[in-house]
Amino acid sequence: MTGSLLVQSLILGVLLGGLYALLAAGLTLYFGVMRVVMIAHSAFLILAAYLAWYANSKLGIDPLLTLVVTVPLFFGVGVVMQRLLIRRLRPATLTMMSVLLTFAIALFIEGLIGFVWGGTQRRTQLPYSSSSLEIFGARIAVVKLIAFGLAALSLLALYLLMKHTRFGQALRATIQHPEAAQLVGIKTDRVAGLGFGLGLATAALGGTALSLDATIYPSLHWHWIGPLMAIIVVGGLGSIPGAAIAALVLGVGQSLLQVPLGTTWAQTIFYVALFVTLMVRPQGFFGGRLAQRF
Amino acid sequence: MPNASSTLAAPSRETTTRQPTSRRTRRIAAALALVVGALVVALFPSMAPNAYILSAGVVVLSYACTATSWNFMGGFTGYISLGHAAYFGLGAYGTGIIIRELELPSFVAWALAGVVVAIITVPIGIAALRVRGASFVIVSISFVLILLLVFQGWGSFTGGSNGLVVPRPFPDLMRPEHHRVFFYLFAALLAVMLVLWWAIDRSRFGIGLKAIREDEDKAEALGIPTRNYKLVAYVVSATLTGLAGGMYALWFGDLDPIFQFSILLGSYMVLMALLGGIRNLFGPLVGAVIVGVALEVFKLEFGDTQFHLVATGLLLGLVVLFMPDGIIPAVQAGLRRLGPQSSSIREMTASELAERNAAAGINGDSVFSGGPAAREQSPDPAVARHAGGPTPAPEEER
Amino acid sequence: MAHMTSRSRGTSARGRALIAAASATALLTVAACGGSSGGSDGGGDDPIVIGISLPLTGDFSEPGKGVQRGYEAWAQIVNEDGGLLGRQVELKILDDQSNADRVVADYEVLIAQDEVDLVFGPFSTRLVVPSARIAQEYGMLFVEPAGAAAEVFEQGFDNLFYAAPAIADDHYNNLADYILALPEAERPETVAVAAMDDPFAQGTAYGLRDKLAEGGLEVLVDEVYPPNTTDFSPIAAKIADSGADVVIGGTQYQDAVNLIVALQQLGYQPELAAFSTAPTNPEFSAAIGAKTEGILSPTGYTPDAAWPSNADFVERYTKIHGNPPGEDEANAYTTGQVVAAAVEAVGCAEQGDCQQQLVDWLHENEVDTVVGPLTWDATGKPQGAHLIQQYVDGEITIVLPEDTAEAAPIFPKPEW
Repeated sequence: MTGSLLVQSLILGVLLGGLYALLAAGLTLYFGVMRVVMIAHSAFLILAAYLAWYANSKLGIDPLLTLVVTVPLFFGVGVVMQRLLIRRLRPATLTMMSVLLTFAIALFIEGLIGFVWGGTQRRTQLPYSSSSLEIFGARIAVVKLIAFGLAALSLLALYLLMKHTRFGQALRATIQHPEAAQLVGIKTDRVAGLGFGLGLATAALGGTALSLDATIYPSLHWHWIGPLMAIIVVGGLGSIPGAAIAALVLGVGQSLLQVPLGTTWAQTIFYVALFVTLMVRPQGFFGGRLAQRF
Repeated sequence: MPNASSTLAAPSRETTTRQPTSRRTRRIAAALALVVGALVVALFPSMAPNAYILSAGVVVLSYACTATSWNFMGGFTGYISLGHAAYFGLGAYGTGIIIRELELPSFVAWALAGVVVAIITVPIGIAALRVRGASFVIVSISFVLILLLVFQGWGSFTGGSNGLVVPRPFPDLMRPEHHRVFFYLFAALLAVMLVLWWAIDRSRFGIGLKAIREDEDKAEALGIPTRNYKLVAYVVSATLTGLAGGMYALWFGDLDPIFQFSILLGSYMVLMALLGGIRNLFGPLVGAVIVGVALEVFKLEFGDTQFHLVATGLLLGLVVLFMPDGIIPAVQAGLRRLGPQSSSIREMTASELAERNAAAGINGDSVFSGGPAAREQSPDPAVARHAGGPTPAPEEER
Repeated sequence: MAHMTSRSRGTSARGRALIAAASATALLTVAACGGSSGGSDGGGDDPIVIGISLPLTGDFSEPGKGVQRGYEAWAQIVNEDGGLLGRQVELKILDDQSNADRVVADYEVLIAQDEVDLVFGPFSTRLVVPSARIAQEYGMLFVEPAGAAAEVFEQGFDNLFYAAPAIADDHYNNLADYILALPEAERPETVAVAAMDDPFAQGTAYGLRDKLAEGGLEVLVDEVYPPNTTDFSPIAAKIADSGADVVIGGTQYQDAVNLIVALQQLGYQPELAAFSTAPTNPEFSAAIGAKTEGILSPTGYTPDAAWPSNADFVERYTKIHGNPPGEDEANAYTTGQVVAAAVEAVGCAEQGDCQQQLVDWLHENEVDTVVGPLTWDATGKPQGAHLIQQYVDGEITIVLPEDTAEAAPIFPKPEW
């Protein structure tokens, strides 16, 4: 691999890792607040991408503007979903049944997308789709930079929310120890619902970022849920910083492996990392005190 | 001493006289069900009006096989694997590759592929079973996804996305005959699986597995070798799924990684088993028939839309929310409502008990002596004194 | 406790009996319903029903819909002209969602349950092989518009005919000859290849690559990607980094768009860019930002060709759809023409012995179509050659071979 190719892959890896970090943060949030594995997270991600594409192709709106509608919408959907569906499950089999239920939701959304917009692959056409900037000797597409910027800003906002607001404190308390949080007077039920909404809001952000440069089709979400789940296990279930770090590491790793090994084999890095984590440290590498075993 | 609240005395005589006949009717009903089922399976190929329906029947039977084999793990141990299609694909590709490389006869290759799947599953099971619950589901999904990538990427060995052609075991058969032969082969495989499931269900091994399902930590504390039991169940389940996959490869002939290592196939397995009832012998079979037929109908009617995905998602969601134990238990509950009620641990109602007590002259003040009416009947002042008090009279057993 | 278990076992036996009976009834009902679909009675004024499975959704939906338009135009034109053997033709098209197992089920339904009189082939080599197998096992003639890879003809099918001038490996022959005939100073020296893991796409790309390699060019990059790949940054990075003079894409549609956009984003400027399939699609230009100047592609068809049936086809198709037909539509139309020729010559159109007679006739005769006269060898391989098209001034123009060219090829390629 030549030097310029290496630098290019490194930068692309960081950009990709940023997007993974945002999405993994949302996914681990559901697990943290409710011990729910939300398989439909990536389906919502693709849905948001479709909405952004649709707004752009039919109404001519720049995809980033759709955030104004999709983020609050998805937040609301998340809260409603937690109230109506997740809370109905029996606590004894919550984790298992939530997996199946969210799996069913994912299938439902995929079917809906295919039903409404057909199975053809779609790509957002923007006037600046093929322009690029030169950074450290590597040519980086403008749309990738914008996507990364969006992801980074959202992660920063999430960080500020978690660390410096009362709600963020309540959320972290609920993740760390729900019973103790209740004892201190936190309404964990409401916090869980809002946490869910927050998770889906990150899906909206991620999806819009994705729509800028990616080709989308209804079954694309399976392509994303695998790596995302591997990331949150490697990072430690329930830990947002852990998920973000694992996402960056694995994203850069994937990008660096893509040139010598090709796209297909490079994707296996997520599952190899998952396997190693299972064998060596099942509770995840970066989670620290917040990480849960399952 | 007779107990005013005792329900054992008179009723037990009635139930003992009732039991033998009802037990006999139950046995007859069960046997009849089996015979009807076997007849339907045996006669279906002759009754099918055309080869397409027959091929749909083969597909439904293959679903039944995979759902039943999945149930060895999901039903007994409660570990839900959403990526079981991985073993289906391994069995299918294993059979195809063995035929191509070693040039063995088709069914020898098929059996050998089953052995290979069993051997591969041991280390995977050891790794995967280190976690439980949601993490296990994540691991199972990751396994099928990584296999998809490997089989797509390793084109020289597996044919990659070009696919792998598996030669027909009986090349001279016309297509309808080919479907008929494989219908019976799948039925035989299903029968073997059902017998094995039934045997495990009644064995100590099965009890150990069910203990793991109910509460794994307690089971371990009780001395059940949970790790080994889980591993054995996992390997058995994977091998049977692999055999079903190999049989499918021999029947269908064209393999493509995207279909053999598909999460959707894995989700159908789970849906079928859940729908039918994961604790019942025939649960997955029932689920497979319902879902398989529904799928074929959906794909024919709504072929050019993704509607069948919507329907699958809805169905799975409804089952999880409202019928998490499956259809068979739900039907059982419904039937129980039609038969004699057994909603109390007592075998007779409170008023019947009060009458019996009054007739036998028992004048204790149990809660079931009825209240004002009973008190009026009995002229005993002791009863009137004790009226309203919960403590029964001293003669009675507690 | 003993009471309860025996009771639950009892009701479960009753439950089982009920469910077994219910399932049996369900199976029988489906079986009965399935049998009630009609087949044609043969002869008389009944329409000739033709069964087809096409990828109207999924990976191959763009070209799949093109093929559908072609078939439907053929049916309409034939009916306007009086039908086949005096009977109207009716198409029965099912969607296989670009899935191999769906396509098998579709043809099984069409042949065994709906008892169609004839079948036309689906789109894409991956779907052609399994469906040809079914047609073979039911003894049906199988003319197909899109299975061009060499492996299709190596499966031992004797009922299969490909309705286009040449198989995939030979699609680029004219271009290879042109490149190797350039004077040494102008000739490109290095090649980068990216092909989808698909027999057709690889067939075209590797055909060109191998001929160029034999002619002395160096292959610097040789990548293969699975069909559902959407992120081409790593492959584009490799190609751009190699600085190859020639880039060959063995592509379908969306992957070509994505690869080209990725190459544009990296600022890579090749001297020659050849992509299969995508550039023949009308939406290609808009999809890559109208930067199409100089992109080459093999095509079996051009609306301006002077073949006898072509002018009529173009005129009537344009009247129906408002724009001239593309290659997929033309291949579909050709399929119709081939089958029609056999049917008219042999005089029958139904399942059974008739099909073998149709097969035999096609093996021994030549058919005039909108892509020229077609003949086949014993395996169904056509014996012609493909044209090479290029975007000149934003328009698709035939540039090779010289005797049918409308303009000279542009070389080197202008910047994106």
